[in-house]
Amino acid sequence: MMAAVSDETADAASVAVLPTRWRPFPIGLAARYAVLLGTILLTIFPLVWLVITSLRIPADIFAVPVHVIPASITWRQYVNVFTQYNLAGYLWNTIVVSLVTVVLVTVLAVPCAYAMARFRLPFHRVIVSLLLIMRMIPVVALAIPLFAVFANLGLLDTLTSLVLAHTAAKLPVAVWLLIGFVQDVPKEIEESAAMDGAGTLRTLVQIVTPLIAPGLGASAVITFLFTWNDLLIALTLASSENAQTLPVGLTNFVSQYGVDWGAMSAAGVLMVLPTLIFVWFAQGLLVKGLVTGAVRG
Amino acid sequence: MADAAIAPNQPGGRRQRGPLNSALTGYLLAGPALLAMIAIFVYPLGYSFVMSFFRWDLSAPSAPFIGLNNYKETLTSPLFQQSLRNQLVFTAATIAVEITAGMGVAVLINGKLRGLRAARTLLLIPPMIAPAVVGLNFRWLFNSQYGFIDALLADLHLSAIPWLSDPNWALVSIIIADVWQNTPLMVLLFLAGLQSLPQEPLEAAAVDGASTWQIFWNITLPLMRPVIVVALMLRVIDTFRTFDVVWLMTQGGPGGATSLVTVHAYLLAFQGVDFGHAAAVSYIALVISLVLLGVLYGLPWLRET
Repeated sequence: MMAAVSDETADAASVAVLPTRWRPFPIGLAARYAVLLGTILLTIFPLVWLVITSLRIPADIFAVPVHVIPASITWRQYVNVFTQYNLAGYLWNTIVVSLVTVVLVTVLAVPCAYAMARFRLPFHRVIVSLLLIMRMIPVVALAIPLFAVFANLGLLDTLTSLVLAHTAAKLPVAVWLLIGFVQDVPKEIEESAAMDGAGTLRTLVQIVTPLIAPGLGASAVITFLFTWNDLLIALTLASSENAQTLPVGLTNFVSQYGVDWGAMSAAGVLMVLPTLIFVWFAQGLLVKGLVTGAVRG
Repeated sequence: MADAAIAPNQPGGRRQRGPLNSALTGYLLAGPALLAMIAIFVYPLGYSFVMSFFRWDLSAPSAPFIGLNNYKETLTSPLFQQSLRNQLVFTAATIAVEITAGMGVAVLINGKLRGLRAARTLLLIPPMIAPAVVGLNFRWLFNSQYGFIDALLADLHLSAIPWLSDPNWALVSIIIADVWQNTPLMVLLFLAGLQSLPQEPLEAAAVDGASTWQIFWNITLPLMRPVIVVALMLRVIDTFRTFDVVWLMTQGGPGGATSLVTVHAYLLAFQGVDFGHAAAVSYIALVISLVLLGVLYGLPWLRET
């Protein structure tokens, strides 16, 4: 069974390289390669520039005229962000908030998606449209009242408030994504499990959950990255280094110390690293999650 | 979806479900997630919707009811009108560029090209990295003294552009940053769409001697309509949520020239401590984006799916 599922995933990933019989756009091959190359260069150049800036010595950062190749390379900025700035604190807060959010979202979303896909729930349509509307609401519309609510509860500037806010904000997308994966599981499997005497919960945990592993992976990676990347919720709810995360830390580089471009770029590179790792190792899941989520949305 | 939800309970189904096994079990399973969304999402939004009819100032002891005043004052406020104008320009420009460029690139690189697989991996990076980092990076690229872009213009013997200090150019700058970040997602989405197109109509047209352009306009584009609709909807929704990249680049400046509606609402709430107006702004923005989606959905070309 697992083999069948992973084959399907592999297929989805390799569709990308299947040759198409009809030549999509018969302009010169050279022109098509030029477009491909140009796209790649435009995509990576700003990132390369970020890395170069993070490796320059200060005199080189503020050199006129600007030169592309650094005169000399230094790791000093990467040390500075930990010694002169509180990057370790921001990093810790971001890791805790992102991981706890992923766990909460997954634990809550899986049974919900299963129920939505397999049970005749009264108000099914209401819930579905609610999920879609929640996906559309600007984060700032949620952040404003959450600030007031968490202020009343005395939870402002805590990691708890960030985790709760992110869990609520990411749940609709995760449920939406997982409903589709549950629907792809053949119902016969669950029915035979039921005939063997498995209860609903056991069917969900032991039969359905392993079968929707790619969906779980996609939703977990997407939840993690969007929580990791978020600026607005953390900016609203975290006022000190107790709970400030990396993106808020970036804004502190500007206001507190003037603009320290080298250190800021180093912090930016460190912040992008997990994304690069996920893109490298989980691109199949990510594309599947984004495209499925988009097409179903 | 409706089919899948109903099927297990059909009389002909092999499995007989008791009353406990249907709606109640379903709600027990869905309950925790639904409760979490209601408590931390629906309730706060309802709360701020109610409070948008009050003078809601966290520093004042009480909040008097003022009816529609927050909405009236918002709609007539020059700062709100400026942010709405910025928002509409931003939404229209980013979407026009991202969808056109995304489709163009996807059509041209689709097929057998060496390096396409690697390119797909690289294209996934911009949409997935933090918009805050994108904002900071473009702020540095657009820096007037040490920035790469003005240096490049100088090398090409073009005059420097006041990217972030001139109001109009600042809006262009945040549009460029957004285009850099989100066009790759459009390329990936359209590539996936192109690869799932039926080949027969394309081959038949090619056999019949249709030109490349005719095939693109008359066959590929209409077949891609559902994917284009999805892309359009996604981008409208997300441009009305854009905040991070602008906050790191300009904080809405200079003089409010890059203040999108979310930035305007944030500034009202957390610098002006005027939660009533901020809530009103966020609800007006939501209604405008819904209306825009409705208008797009009603366009004849998009509707004929």
